[in-house]
Amino acid sequence: MSEPVAVAAASSPRVPLIRVTGVTKKFGGVQALRGVNLEVLPGEVHALLGENGAGKSTLIKILSGVHTYDEGSIEIAGRKVAFESPAKSREAGVAVVYQDLSLVESLSVGANLMLGREPRTRLGFVRQRELMAQVSAFLREHNIPLDPRVPVFSLPFAYRQMTEICKALMGDVRVLILDEPTSALTGGEEKILFDAIRTVTERGVGVIYVTHRLNEVFRISQRVTVFRDGANAGQFATAETDMKRLVAAIVGPRHAAMQARQETSTGTAMQTAPGADERTVAQVAPQFAHHAPVLTLTNVSNARLSGVNLSVRKGEVHGLAGLIGSGRTEILQTIFGLLPIHQGTIDLDGEPLAARRPADAIRRGVALVPEDRHLQGLVLEHSIERNLTLPRLPQLSRGGWLLAKAAALQARVAMKQLSVKAPDASTHVKFLSGGNQQKVVFAKWNHPRPKLLLLDEPTIGVDVGAREEIYGVVHDAALAGTAVVVVSSDLDELLRLCDRISIVADGSIERTVERGQIRHTEELHHLIQLSRPTEELAT
Amino acid sequence: MPAERQAAQRRGRMGRIAQLLLQGDRPHMLYIAFAILLVVFSFASPWFLSIDNFLNIGRQTALVSIIAIGMTFVIIARQIDLSVGSALALSGMSAALAMSHISDSWIVGAIAGIGTGAIVGAINGLVTTRLSIPSFLVTLGTLSAARGLALMVTTTRPEIITNDRFIAIFGEGDIAGVPVPILWTLLAVIGGILLLHYSVFGRQVYAAGGNPTAALYSGINIRRVTTLAFVLTGALAGLAALVLAARSHAARPDVVQGMELDVIASVTLGGCSLFGGRGFILGTLLGSLIIGTLNNGLVLLGVSSSLQLVIKGVIIVAAVAFTRK
Repeated sequence: MSEPVAVAAASSPRVPLIRVTGVTKKFGGVQALRGVNLEVLPGEVHALLGENGAGKSTLIKILSGVHTYDEGSIEIAGRKVAFESPAKSREAGVAVVYQDLSLVESLSVGANLMLGREPRTRLGFVRQRELMAQVSAFLREHNIPLDPRVPVFSLPFAYRQMTEICKALMGDVRVLILDEPTSALTGGEEKILFDAIRTVTERGVGVIYVTHRLNEVFRISQRVTVFRDGANAGQFATAETDMKRLVAAIVGPRHAAMQARQETSTGTAMQTAPGADERTVAQVAPQFAHHAPVLTLTNVSNARLSGVNLSVRKGEVHGLAGLIGSGRTEILQTIFGLLPIHQGTIDLDGEPLAARRPADAIRRGVALVPEDRHLQGLVLEHSIERNLTLPRLPQLSRGGWLLAKAAALQARVAMKQLSVKAPDASTHVKFLSGGNQQKVVFAKWNHPRPKLLLLDEPTIGVDVGAREEIYGVVHDAALAGTAVVVVSSDLDELLRLCDRISIVADGSIERTVERGQIRHTEELHHLIQLSRPTEELAT
Repeated sequence: MPAERQAAQRRGRMGRIAQLLLQGDRPHMLYIAFAILLVVFSFASPWFLSIDNFLNIGRQTALVSIIAIGMTFVIIARQIDLSVGSALALSGMSAALAMSHISDSWIVGAIAGIGTGAIVGAINGLVTTRLSIPSFLVTLGTLSAARGLALMVTTTRPEIITNDRFIAIFGEGDIAGVPVPILWTLLAVIGGILLLHYSVFGRQVYAAGGNPTAALYSGINIRRVTTLAFVLTGALAGLAALVLAARSHAARPDVVQGMELDVIASVTLGGCSLFGGRGFILGTLLGSLIIGTLNNGLVLLGVSSSLQLVIKGVIIVAAVAFTRK
């Protein structure tokens, strides 16, 4: 809230392209937006920041006509507009480029850009030459380096994104909304994207740029608006602020309150010993501190990693922090045998773990709770029991025949230990809540205890109660001597769970910090943001 | 107390049997459809409701039922096998030739027939999984190639079978009045139930088809499981070839063209999802019996064979639509 109005007043008397005033939105009992303001000037890149759940996505959905808003007003070029449907929003000149691209990969760039509005002959045939000519003219006019004849599937990701932006720009666009456009891009590709954004703004289009990456804000935007808990937490002129101030606005005073809540809630929701919550290296690790590392990665490189060094002790919870695309998930996947190693070695209990497929890693006592439980963790159409026995079939069988009673017993015990809420083990997993589904994924690895437990975003899409229970499960595993590696975008979660945290950037580990060295999420936030090599040369 | 426990145990056993009979989404529909069919034909034709006629239906559906057991594994694993008819023809030729050229023993014939089927299945499985080609295309290829090979080996002539034991064991014998083709079908059904519902392999097949990524993340070797499902189907096509060859005292290279459609129809009618992960053996048997009963009943009613095809087609699609959600 430090320097909100100054910039808008000082910069120029131009009419904003879009002005959002006091917009509120309630979903059921949840107040997603509590009266937010945002304005974008012609030719401006306006960054929109905030943590997950701060209200960014809700506002974007309102601007694109997917949701309606409850109170407040939205003006386009000084005229009040009702954003009732995506079509109306598009008509008003607002175009959104989403994270998941909406291109037909097998068609050419030109065909994609003109999809649904192809020039036709009277008989309904496409006038191919005219189509390409129109597209070429458009690309030339906007100075965008795309070949309209190339099929989309052959393009690198950045150019696909550029195609998507062009698609949004065809027609009369005043405001372009980019939702995390760089999350899947490499450094070089980012530059291509940024150049395209600059070309667009030079023509007077306003851009709302949603991102989690602060260094991008400094490279591309003129102003920044920060949302926190569904309200404005500050507006800044990019040139007059710095990363520290932005982080403070994003995180807010909440982290102090969080800390307090954690201390009081200790041991209530979980079945762990009181105080386990606040354990530090000094409190819990000592019983295993003298042990040799369970897991050692030495200079591990492959297509996504470049020289990862990591060592995790028995009973240690080791966090991997970093931005999406930094290589956090890939470290876990490489250990688990999902990605081949080109160089370096992975040792488990002092012996090389040369896992060529997950089955090899599982046999050695490695377990993975993957990022996407629907896609990677569960067979949704099958029962809890079937899902639970899947990774333990070798132990639950004799001579190839399933030991039905042992499997049923194992399922019942695991469900009880993790308090999975379901009528019984024959319930289909698709009928469970997100939290209970995630507990089933954890329960797959419940018995026998793995030596090494790899967790990728263990509490994503899980309600608060189940989250506490899952933390309890992780603590229990560590207390029993399992080495745990956690990847998470939730920094509170990392600070709460981990004995040590490694910062991952560009496929390698930048640095490792002991738990005691970091007190607030804010500090961790800084470490992550600073770890990314800034490409100031690009600007 | 003991009485109570006994009752509980009985309930448990009944529960398990019920579970075996009632898997899939709306399995009772399948039983109802079969029952309706039986009632309608009983009223329509005086000859329908006789033991001889039911044995007749069993004999006629044996080939399709046996192969459909294997196809159930393939379809649950989210694959398809179009080559079963050609694999059958090639296996039959191979069995007959082995007996006339290598050794006139029924065992040699059986090994050659089932082995040939298994090899066709292994080729289907390995090409599908190793080269990542959709099994629809791979088996379309083997459908043509295996048929071509079957025609080539004798330059399209049938190969006569004279081994009486072979003929008795696979085609014309009976035990307590039950013809052997039906016994082989029962054996395949029981083996299929054990393998699909009680073995680790069965669990892996369900997982590989239900969600291949989750199965991979759970340490299941999907390539191996998928390949084995194809091998099983091929081997069962080989067994069906033995039954057919023994019944007709000869192996013919041009038999059962288009049979794959009857097999796939039986499996899907029996509650298998073509999207994988769902299905059960008794459902498949029931699907095959429904189609067989339909054929039989329409013949008894004197419906012309052209109209039979049309009615069969409509009923198959209608039944699948009806048994789905």
